[in-house]
Amino acid sequence: MKNMIRLALRGMMRNRRRSLMTLLAIAFGFSAIALFAGYTHNVYDGLSRQSIHGEMLGHLTLSKRGMRKEGRLDPERYLLTATEVAAITKLLQDEQHVEMVAPRLALSGLVSNGRASTIFIAEGIEPEAVVKLRSGSLTEAEKKSGRFDNMWMRLDAERPEVVSLAEGLVELLHLKEGEQAQVLVNTLSGQANAADITLGKGFNTGNAGSNDKFAFVSLVLARTLLDAEGRADRLTILLDDKNQTEAMRDRLLARLGAAGFDVEIMTWQELSDFYNQVHGMFDMIFGFIFSIVLTVVVMSVANSMGMTVIERTREIGTLRAIGLKRSGVVRLFTMESMLLTLIGCAAGLLITLLVRWGVNAADISYIPPNSAGRVPLLIDLDIMRTLFTFLLMGVVGTLAAWMPARRAAQKDIIDALGHV
Amino acid sequence: MTDNTSHPPILKLRNIKRRFQLGETTIDALNNISLDIHAGEFLAVWGPSGSGKSTLMNIIGLIDAPTEGEVHFEEQDTRVLDDDALTEFRSKKLGFVFQNFNLVPVLSALENVMLPLQIQGVDEHEARERASTALADVGLEKFKDSRPDKLSGGQRQRVAIARALVVDPKLVIADEPTANLDSENSRMVVELMREMNRARKVTFVFTTHDQRLLDHVDRKILLRDGNIVSDEVMA
Repeated sequence: MKNMIRLALRGMMRNRRRSLMTLLAIAFGFSAIALFAGYTHNVYDGLSRQSIHGEMLGHLTLSKRGMRKEGRLDPERYLLTATEVAAITKLLQDEQHVEMVAPRLALSGLVSNGRASTIFIAEGIEPEAVVKLRSGSLTEAEKKSGRFDNMWMRLDAERPEVVSLAEGLVELLHLKEGEQAQVLVNTLSGQANAADITLGKGFNTGNAGSNDKFAFVSLVLARTLLDAEGRADRLTILLDDKNQTEAMRDRLLARLGAAGFDVEIMTWQELSDFYNQVHGMFDMIFGFIFSIVLTVVVMSVANSMGMTVIERTREIGTLRAIGLKRSGVVRLFTMESMLLTLIGCAAGLLITLLVRWGVNAADISYIPPNSAGRVPLLIDLDIMRTLFTFLLMGVVGTLAAWMPARRAAQKDIIDALGHV
Repeated sequence: MTDNTSHPPILKLRNIKRRFQLGETTIDALNNISLDIHAGEFLAVWGPSGSGKSTLMNIIGLIDAPTEGEVHFEEQDTRVLDDDALTEFRSKKLGFVFQNFNLVPVLSALENVMLPLQIQGVDEHEARERASTALADVGLEKFKDSRPDKLSGGQRQRVAIARALVVDPKLVIADEPTANLDSENSRMVVELMREMNRARKVTFVFTTHDQRLLDHVDRKILLRDGNIVSDEVMA
């Protein structure tokens, strides 16, 4: 085996230029895949944080069964009652991975500056829950950059009339922080209900479509406006570990079902359409790039090994004559191909690390589609996909040599010895 | 000269025919050849070009199969052996010396000689020892780290002889071993083969056009048009 490796390594060095070109094709192909995988990994991670913490979806969302489909037409029927909210919250808080349970109440209506009015969509939530949910939305580096400071909104637990409006809405109404405005909504029974609000710190939703409509209000104000004391349309559940999301959903559904609650629980992934759309799109692009690179690698290796086999036909004949079996010939050339591919992948990994370091250090930012602000261009090291690419390219690169190697092994010894 | 015909034959050819198809033309390269090769013989097959020398050597070397007839190597009917078994048989019983030396260019002289042993699965240490001895036997211990392109033609052929002998073969087949050498190197190679034949009792069968080489043999077989014209045991 050692001699076989030595022979394969030296065989690689025989035609250095050809081996180098093949090696570069593998290395750049590998790094293209690894870098794109690292970029998408960073995007997925950012989007998941944006969904769970930024959009405050939490990890799980609990509501009465049918709330999502029928709740808009008949909210009274599908809201959780005060008793249910209290009982379910108590049950959930006993669970190991549950970090927080936050009752939520959505509302919509008109907001006015006294001269003009416009529609708003608001979320009623406890101010403490906002702080806790938002605490995981940015990485330390993102917090330090200050670039996302305007994404933060705060509600005041002592002053429920303080409302945080999205920046676009604030601009539309020509209001400043601390100024007064009025909101008008329908209560659950359909009565008009108005209240004075004080403008809190504005925020950026991060989405151009919602940045001129969205608002956060304290849960107390939302319940008052809707006349829904103690009630909630859903409970947002924050876990201590994102990877527990699916398992916890199943476990909580079982427990709640046993306790007699007819509820449904959605994961953040099911609720975040944007995350799913971006994930789907990037997965497709990744598959496309992967297929192209893999095809290029296979063709480069097969071509290189095909030429090598032709050049070394007489050597193959000699080795066969002195006792190397057909399987040994196949092993020799596939070994050479495997070494070429693995060295190429290792060089590709090095290129990946260098480019990644360069891009991350360059502090590049860009505006993604449908985004209200710039985001940093960062590349992670997606270990799983990089490892998978390494192994798959190793296997495929090795198999690419199998056909020419097999052809060589099948060659008649006398013909091979007579090859010029 | 030595008379080895009293020894039992290590190779028996019986009624060997070898036919090639070239397009629509059929060529009978060997016609009904029967031949015994005895242990310890130093045997030359000679004849004009196209007489069937190389075809006969390929059949003796078990790298080609006859169209008809039987080849028995040490009582083993080789017709029943599949490709892997034949390859293993060659690996253990036969050594080859080629006209063009056929050394692996990326390996040193020592590594080239080690190659047949390592193909057999001999461990590296032992293979290195045995290959070093074989190289010393052909007078090339100083060149063990040299690659073939740094060696002269004669030296390369001596490495090839060391590679053939390192497995302690029963039979060494050499197809025109001096064809690419000058007269001085030819003489040295022939003397070396003869010395190995005498000292180690290794059987040599080779083809040649070289009359000087024929002067050294125990037995010479003249082939013409695929037939044995004469089979002389030298006195």
